[in-house]
Amino acid sequence: MKGSLESGSRLLLLLVVSNLLLCQGVVSTPVCPNGPGNCQVSLRDLFDRAVMVSHYIHDLSSEMFNEFDKRYAQGKGFITMALNSCHTSSLPTPEDKEQAQQTHHEVLMSLILGLLRSWNDPLYHLVTEVRGMKGAPDAILSRAIEIEEENKRLLEGMEMIFGQVIPGAKETEPYPVWSGLPSLQTKDEDARYSAFYNLLHCLRRDSSKIDTYLKLLNCRIIYNNNC
Amino acid sequence: MKENAASRVVFILLLFLSVSLLNGQSPPEKPKLVKCRSPGKETFTCWWEPGADGGLPTNYTLTYHKEGETLIHECPDYKTGGPNSCYFSKKHTSIWKMYVITVNAINQMGISSSDPLYVDVTYIVEPEPPANLTLELKHPEDRKPYLWIKWSPPTMTDVKSGWFIIQYEIRLKPEKATDWETHFTPKQTQLKIFNLYPGQKYLVQIRCKPDHGYWSEWSPESSIQIPNDFPVKDTSMWIFVAILSAVICLIMVWAVALKGYSMVTCILPPVPGPKIKGFDVHLLEKGKSEELLRALESQDFPPTSDCEDLLMEFIEVDDCEDQQLMPRPSKEHTEQGVKPMHLDLDSDSGRGSCDSPSLLSEKCDEPQAHPSKFHTPEGPEKLENPETNLTCLQAPQSTSGEGKIPYFLANGPKSSTWPFPQPPSLYSPRYSYHNIADVCELALGMAGTTATSLDQTDQHALKASKTIETGREGKATKQRESEGCSSKPDQDTVWPRPQDKTPLISAKPLEYVEIHKVSQDGVLALFPKQNEKFGAPEASKEYSKVSRVTDSNILVLVPDPQAQNLTLLEEPAKKAPPALP
Repeated sequence: MKGSLESGSRLLLLLVVSNLLLCQGVVSTPVCPNGPGNCQVSLRDLFDRAVMVSHYIHDLSSEMFNEFDKRYAQGKGFITMALNSCHTSSLPTPEDKEQAQQTHHEVLMSLILGLLRSWNDPLYHLVTEVRGMKGAPDAILSRAIEIEEENKRLLEGMEMIFGQVIPGAKETEPYPVWSGLPSLQTKDEDARYSAFYNLLHCLRRDSSKIDTYLKLLNCRIIYNNNC
Repeated sequence: MKENAASRVVFILLLFLSVSLLNGQSPPEKPKLVKCRSPGKETFTCWWEPGADGGLPTNYTLTYHKEGETLIHECPDYKTGGPNSCYFSKKHTSIWKMYVITVNAINQMGISSSDPLYVDVTYIVEPEPPANLTLELKHPEDRKPYLWIKWSPPTMTDVKSGWFIIQYEIRLKPEKATDWETHFTPKQTQLKIFNLYPGQKYLVQIRCKPDHGYWSEWSPESSIQIPNDFPVKDTSMWIFVAILSAVICLIMVWAVALKGYSMVTCILPPVPGPKIKGFDVHLLEKGKSEELLRALESQDFPPTSDCEDLLMEFIEVDDCEDQQLMPRPSKEHTEQGVKPMHLDLDSDSGRGSCDSPSLLSEKCDEPQAHPSKFHTPEGPEKLENPETNLTCLQAPQSTSGEGKIPYFLANGPKSSTWPFPQPPSLYSPRYSYHNIADVCELALGMAGTTATSLDQTDQHALKASKTIETGREGKATKQRESEGCSSKPDQDTVWPRPQDKTPLISAKPLEYVEIHKVSQDGVLALFPKQNEKFGAPEASKEYSKVSRVTDSNILVLVPDPQAQNLTLLEEPAKKAPPALP
């Protein structure tokens, strides 16, 4: 009897340890790895907030793109020019669910941060240039302004999340730089509208990427893949 | 030669064409890509519309290339999606990448290609309707009954990992109704519906939507029959409560109407006003002070009709400030002069009256303190001495047998409690004085005046004396005073007092009067001693303030500093007989 009990408990211990070892890919993060003193907002709240903001940014981007397409791009075939035009295409972002699920959360988070950072500059110029665009409808301009603000907010939140999930890691990886300003300012109206179209198209896509990755991470880290 | 060959070929082609034209055959018309949809952001399907086939059997092929690639692929699966469709499996699906898709129609005569369609899977997400919709009626005990709707996420959506975020919308209506009742749920896969109509058949449908994408189709209708006896306790209970409260209201209204005032008085009894026993307001209003006083008299008073006896008492006159006699809201008194008297009566315990009657009652039980204590301007402390010297006002002792001459001391005001400034000429600030505890009608007259002096404002005294002079009111006040003087100070303790009191300073030289007589009305007729003139004894219309009583039978009076009072004194005095025992 005793012997079986002992062996049973040993087996249990073995199972537990093996589980821990096997579950490397899934991180059940301690809420405050740096100690309770450093945590002011719980990780769950940070993620909730980040997901809300990223969802909002993607909604705004989609609406803005659709507005622009309706007003300036009908029958112009701008889409053909928009292929391969995103400045962030150099980032190795996962392209489907399997790839995303196999990507480690650290990598995913640094990708998100890279995307957010690389859009700071283009968003700023987008607002300036849309203002200068003749007859720019308020629907586009107001959304551009809003997106620029929310992007900054999301970047802040992501940096906080990153600091909590991967403590000690200093995220200083380079991010893609946008160099499309001259094309936004060109005299040729068609060329200019085409440049705007590209920018809005890429913005919609990248905001979708950020939103999807964040929602994935949220379910993985906070809800343990049980959303 | 060559020319001949070329022209021959052209001729043959033209022949061919004309032959086919004659047959009605032509290359196919351009097909048209209708839409592409992804049910779960992992696969997608595209559908096209074929054009005219040109009379010949036509094949359709779908070709595509991805953004950033040059390689052209052909559709991997033409079957799964149904006719004229192309299904892209997981292997062939990439998100965030533009697909350039073209459909080609090929027949014998030629090939026609559709316009390319640029597709990004991210933006073509449309899920299937939710699955496994179940309806269940539940009525747990002690709780409201409800319809429990359950479902599961649509197929091909990975919700658990967070790849696919989904929202649901349910709508239901009774079978015959036209409007749907819709409910939106952000995440959960169940819903409870309350407030259903019994005996109805309900139809339920559900659909869903991804976080960014298109709404699904409505699921097929599910129906459920609510049994006739389905308890809708809630409403019936409320109806019952409403009827009950309505009935109660009616009863109350009826009762109020019938009983009216008596009910109100029953619920809210009127607050009793202050009353003096035996004091009839109406008599006062009528101005019949005699009757009023008689009424007062009839309450248990020590026999005061017999005022031949002179009561000699030591009374320490405490120069309470005007506050004492100040407007205490007395309903019964409309005349000013009356007020001080009345107030005095109420607070008649001399010192105690200065502050509050309650204090007096407390102090009555205290052992007698050192009588020679000077009264400092601090009110409560002052109280103690005189209080102790007083026997309880509330417990009148009969001193009818004894002759007591009330001894009045004029004292300075109690500056602490009373705001009215004292005329310094009149009073020495250091003396406290008591109202006459028990003074018979003899004292009453004095008391009347003394009370006014007790009042410690010239004005009040003046007024009081004025009113007293007028006669009737004076009587009234005197009567009141007698009432107040029901209790008697302890003679023993009282007596040593005047000696103990050191500076018995009065502003004016003392004038002595002799008591002439005490009339039935309780008026003390006095003769100023120093006055040489002796006239016929007048009626009890002469009043003066009693300064002190000496040798147990001499009343020391102080003329009122007011001119009028002085004149009173200066009138021909009457010789007062010696104090009666």
